[in-house]
Amino acid sequence: MRLEGKYKFDASQERVWEVLTNPRHLEKAIPGCERLQESEPNKYDALLKVGIAAVKGTFTGKFEVADPDPPQQYRLVGEGSGSSGFVKGEATIHLTAANEQTLVDYHGEMQIGGLIAGVGQRMLGGIAKMMLNQFFKRMGNELKSSK
Amino acid sequence: MSDREKERWVGKRYKRKEDLRLLVGRGKFVDDIKLPNTKHAAIIRSPYPHAWIKAIDTSEAEKLPGVRGVLTGRDVAEMSSPFAVGVPIPPKYYSCAVDKVRFVGEPVAVVVADTRYIAEDALDLIKVDYELLPVVMDIEEAAEPGSPVLHENIGSNIYSHRVMKYGDPDRAFKEADLVVRGKFHFPKYGSTPIETYAVIASYNPFSEEFVVYNNYQGPFVNHSIVALALGVPENKMRWIVPADIGGGFGTKTGMYPYIALISLAAKKTGMTVKWIEDRREHLLASASGTDRVTYMEAALKKDGAILALKDKAMDNTGGYIRPPEPGCAYRSTGNHTGAYNIANLDREIMVVATNKSLTAPNRGYTCQELYFSVERLVDMAAAALDMDPAEIRFKNFIQADQFPFTTATGGIYDSGNYQKAFQMALDTIDYKKWRAEQLKAREQGRYIGIGMATIVDPSVTNISYVTVALPPELRARSHPKSGSGESVTIKMDPLGKVHVIACTNPQGQGHDTVISQIVADELDIHPEDVTISDIVDTHDRIYTITTGSYSSRFASVGVNAVVDATRKLKQKILQIGAKLLAVDPGEVELKGGKIRVKASPERTIAVKHVAGTAHWNQSALPEGMDAGLFASTLLSMPTSQPPDEQDRVDSSNTYGFCCEAIVLEIDPDTCEIKFHKWASVHDSGVILNPMIVEGQVMGSIAHGLGGSLLEEFAYDENGQCLTASFQDYLCPTAMDVPDIDIGHVQTPSPYTALGSKGAGEASCESVPAALGNAIADALAPLGVTINELPLTPNKIWHLVQEAKAKKEQAGHEA
Repeated sequence: MRLEGKYKFDASQERVWEVLTNPRHLEKAIPGCERLQESEPNKYDALLKVGIAAVKGTFTGKFEVADPDPPQQYRLVGEGSGSSGFVKGEATIHLTAANEQTLVDYHGEMQIGGLIAGVGQRMLGGIAKMMLNQFFKRMGNELKSSK
Repeated sequence: MSDREKERWVGKRYKRKEDLRLLVGRGKFVDDIKLPNTKHAAIIRSPYPHAWIKAIDTSEAEKLPGVRGVLTGRDVAEMSSPFAVGVPIPPKYYSCAVDKVRFVGEPVAVVVADTRYIAEDALDLIKVDYELLPVVMDIEEAAEPGSPVLHENIGSNIYSHRVMKYGDPDRAFKEADLVVRGKFHFPKYGSTPIETYAVIASYNPFSEEFVVYNNYQGPFVNHSIVALALGVPENKMRWIVPADIGGGFGTKTGMYPYIALISLAAKKTGMTVKWIEDRREHLLASASGTDRVTYMEAALKKDGAILALKDKAMDNTGGYIRPPEPGCAYRSTGNHTGAYNIANLDREIMVVATNKSLTAPNRGYTCQELYFSVERLVDMAAAALDMDPAEIRFKNFIQADQFPFTTATGGIYDSGNYQKAFQMALDTIDYKKWRAEQLKAREQGRYIGIGMATIVDPSVTNISYVTVALPPELRARSHPKSGSGESVTIKMDPLGKVHVIACTNPQGQGHDTVISQIVADELDIHPEDVTISDIVDTHDRIYTITTGSYSSRFASVGVNAVVDATRKLKQKILQIGAKLLAVDPGEVELKGGKIRVKASPERTIAVKHVAGTAHWNQSALPEGMDAGLFASTLLSMPTSQPPDEQDRVDSSNTYGFCCEAIVLEIDPDTCEIKFHKWASVHDSGVILNPMIVEGQVMGSIAHGLGGSLLEEFAYDENGQCLTASFQDYLCPTAMDVPDIDIGHVQTPSPYTALGSKGAGEASCESVPAALGNAIADALAPLGVTINELPLTPNKIWHLVQEAKAKKEQAGHEA
């Protein structure tokens, strides 16, 4: 499944970079994230509770902020699995300054397997989009509250 | 009723004895069985289609309160051996993945806990470490050298491969005026019975015996396969099937690996273990029919006579192959040329492995795959010859005076009148009128299509057909196989009522009703005076390797057994009655509950009195006769013989006929289908109960329609199953099935006691072909090729757009 989109933040590129790659903010912004721990620099272990269609489950996973080029671009590489299936994905996140704002562009690929693929496939595109929107919206809040 | 005409129950619309208990919710299914101290199993399944299992950590799950134990693939490999299967190199197929998973949904471990909730929760605590492997999902790619290999011990993805020639097809193709060719793709679809798989297993360590309640539908061939795999003799493997099963359709024969798996879980934990498959599990990993790729050619004369067929078919049994596969490829051997007199056939068969779920017979057992190709090709031949598709069928039919007819492949068609049945279908839809309507509609830009299919429906498996999977030289080295045996015991109690003990474990077919009707006719009693027990209990039923309900065998061999046992009982009653009346047995007859002397009808004795004598006054019985009043039979059909050296075999023992004639219209914008007319004409020999036959026919039409227009187990290119819920796996509802005119022609089978034969699978075999032909006919002006199913509106729309674009481009170039 392809994922792509844009989001605009009312903050400087450096500030957005700082928040987007900070585990404290990530933990609060990732939908369903119960726990996030840095295992080594830029690498994180996560515990997520997510429900898609009729399937709800706990996923344990790892993700990594790879090839960081602050404050312009990084790759987010992640995978998670649980009894209801697995998720694997990779996305390139690109930041550009636009006046007082910062434009975030993302595009990537996600693979889903196991029960969630069999049961929720038709809704996954919509759900992924909704979760991403939730993520960026929360990141916006994090930006405001951590000013 | 001494002199009035005997009332016959067979052939009557006698109401089903089974319906009341089912309608009020008092049926008894496996889940209704409550045994003391039962624990519950949940199965962890692979989310990956192809991967090594590097490690399994069950320690956290085992610590969860209420968990009684965990069974992993390692345990299964230690406690059992792989299932036997009739292919040259069997894959190592256990009831659970051992070191590798080969399809999404394959069992990896079983948790046994006090409740299903705890067991399901414990699944979350099991950690499985997988090393992913490349997948192969496409049938033809799977057979290519260099594609990822699923089974290291086989070395390729080809489970079974044979080339067979019947007659002289090479010569026929040389002599042909015309050869038509097609490539066809048939989807993987299933049966979705209302009751899923269900197992309750226990192991008695003192008698070293397994007792397993389950809803398996037979045949008993898989009982011995499970016993072999678990390393116990068959008499230490007791299977009990309750009176009600919520649908079988063949796909319930795919459940025996779960019987083995839950039995092992019971043995390891020392508990009685219950497992009721949930719907997601059922859709993901129970059993479906095979998907098939077919390359087919027909050699024809200018007048439409079909001289020969060439059929190269590739079946896909998924991650493993298990009995009765590779039956998918060989089941249709005897009827491979369908309803036509075709003397020459060239067959190449390949059964391959891909990372899809596993297969089992699915109502029609690959005859739908076969006839979709044959019947599409017949329509294509008609178009190439500018013939009417009905006319080419009449031209090639086996004639009514040719029965019993031996086909090129060894099938012995018992009876039929294909012309009469097909003409009835055409008349019912008013064929000529609709051809005229179609011409008018085309001028208005409307897509009306008329489709037909004429097929032969095999019933009663002759078990020997499975040995055709081995070439004659290998077959000669193994023990010959043959037979189709079915058993019935009938007894009369001291007060003269009748009890029938069968072993057919019906899944909704209404055997209780029909057995009662038959016995009532034979003994001149009321059907209500007959009680039936036709459950399976391997400890107290008489059976053979072939017994059970599958392959529409009840109306043929099942009825033969009922009639034979009842007539034996009747003979005994007459003998005892004659002795009590002091006449020869030949001088008496049974009428209206009495034995009477034919020459002096006033001299009678009540059957009840005879029964009482047999039980209460045993010394009064004719000399040499067993005490009590019972008779048993276990008989096979005489045509159940092993294959000959040319691979010819009567793979089924009776053959019905079925034809569909459909008029439909495709909406040019939405590509939705509207039905104008649908006639379905069947010849299943003498009809035993018209209501039951109608129900079976309607069911098989709906089932065939599902496979043609809606249903498919779809996978993405990474091997993920996309259809594990009824949201995505679409079954037809009442809204999708149109009004259908069902007609019957009854040509009695000479091989069955009452002339009857199987009826419940036929339309599953003909509907996919007829709908494919109707849709192709509707879209013929656009030049659309129809060679695959299911034909969803979405798929038809894309085909239409492609064809229109092509036409436009051709217009521009011209």
